[in-house]
Amino acid sequence: MIEKYHPFLHEFPRGASKELQIFSILAQSFFQPFSLMDNLLVILTALTAGPGLGFNRAMLFLADGDELKGEFWLGPASAEEAASIWEVLSTPGVGYTEIIEHNRALLTSEANPLAQKVRKISYPLHKKNPTIPTLAASSREITLVREASKEPLVDKQFLELIGVEEFLCIPLLSQDEIFGEIILDNAITGRPIESRDIELASICGLAAGNFIYVTKLQKRVVEMKKQAALGEMAMFVTHQLRNPLVTMGGFVDQLFDPRLSKQKAKRNLKIIRNEIRRLERIMLRLTRFFRIDIKELAPVNIREAFKLVTDAIKPLVAGRTVVLRTEIEEGLTSVLCDPIHLGEALRNVVENAVEALKDGGRVLLRAYRENKDWTVISVEDNGQGIPESVKGKIFGSFVSTKEKGIGLGLAYVKRFMEACQGKIAVESQEGQGTTFKLYFKTGGGG
Amino acid sequence: MKKKGRLLVVEDEKNLCLLYREELTKEGYKVTTVTDAETALKLIKKQPFDLIVTDIRMPAKNGIELITQIMALRKDIPIIINTAYQSYKHDFMTWAADAYIVKSASLDELKSKIKELLG
Repeated sequence: MIEKYHPFLHEFPRGASKELQIFSILAQSFFQPFSLMDNLLVILTALTAGPGLGFNRAMLFLADGDELKGEFWLGPASAEEAASIWEVLSTPGVGYTEIIEHNRALLTSEANPLAQKVRKISYPLHKKNPTIPTLAASSREITLVREASKEPLVDKQFLELIGVEEFLCIPLLSQDEIFGEIILDNAITGRPIESRDIELASICGLAAGNFIYVTKLQKRVVEMKKQAALGEMAMFVTHQLRNPLVTMGGFVDQLFDPRLSKQKAKRNLKIIRNEIRRLERIMLRLTRFFRIDIKELAPVNIREAFKLVTDAIKPLVAGRTVVLRTEIEEGLTSVLCDPIHLGEALRNVVENAVEALKDGGRVLLRAYRENKDWTVISVEDNGQGIPESVKGKIFGSFVSTKEKGIGLGLAYVKRFMEACQGKIAVESQEGQGTTFKLYFKTGGGG
Repeated sequence: MKKKGRLLVVEDEKNLCLLYREELTKEGYKVTTVTDAETALKLIKKQPFDLIVTDIRMPAKNGIELITQIMALRKDIPIIINTAYQSYKHDFMTWAADAYIVKSASLDELKSKIKELLG
């Protein structure tokens, strides 16, 4: 027989010891979708969770360059309030999300003067003779301060701010970096800080340090992924530019050969001119692809857009027995998007369709209302269809099955549709045809 | 001029085919160009070649698949990869080729590699 449990609890264990409860909160913090700040706040909540075990107040400093900056200060104003946080936590059904909400409310409330005070202060982190509070972070040691007013190492302004004689400084560290410091005290109950408190605080400090470390790593990974994508793109662009350049270079070299016939020289010049035009086209497409930035959606007249596309496509259709038809649902006049990009996007899709057609093929460009939310412009052809092997990647950048394709057409259309809050879908049967559907949010249509 | 060797150039860019054909013919080789891997394979089965120059990124079958199939047919033909991409050097399948050249506006490297491989 087996029993199964979720890897982390949705509620905190009731009736369990306070240590187990705190441990459970800490462990869960690693699985939560909340921000770094939210999670750090929860760790502070665990540390200040009322009488018995835990402190009254917790102050958080985070390292920012060469400084330790005050971030927030959590704690009740009275002994009654101190007990209430723990009561919240002990309520049946309370989970991580409830603590987060509780904390957010606490931080933004005007009745919390502590939070406002601590945000105004910062201390240099790498001073030669560090004072308290930065001493713990720079020496990487937990520091317990007693009789603070008699201790020369304590910064006088800080002492004024914290206003207690006894407090504990916990550094937040990873192996090679200082992330910040937590400062804990029992200002309300006045209970002396014991070794058990220090142990609890050190565990929470480690958890918080790890938490910051992991968050930073994750950011770095995202950055690296972006760079890898950029590298992929750079490689692609280089390749796109290299072929025309190599061709031009070779034919220019030939021009320098005095034995080259006039006829061939002229041919070479023609080739070079064509390659220059090709480079220009590539540049244009690349710029267009990277510059989709639609600030405001505007109603674009469908009939006009269709007219532009069919005109642009005429040279492709000329001399072939291919039929291009348009159809607009009665009463439908416009879609919400950007006029320039709409024309270009439609041209891309229609061009693909026409190219995929054998003689006698048909393309239908149609606009209709799918339902009250979406207006659709579809491009339907009875061409060869999209092979199963490439279906999954047609919207990716740099994917092309065409001889001259650079693989930006559909990626561009997809980016455009996303930029105007729409979507794109494709249905295709090999040998039977393909339908692309561009979905636009209804609003200005009709 | 004496024919020094029979070359097959696989290159999907038609203008580059023309350039290679003219320039390598000047060097004294008998040059055949094709624009896709499938046609290249058919030719290799029918005719003897002394060396093959191939691109990698081509529509339909790519150069790496081509190399694998040529090796299965005729192990002894030297193969030169001539591509616009640096990065395929890291693909171990390209190590089977005898040389890897990144396309350049000057054909000197290609010419000297062919000369070297044909001894």
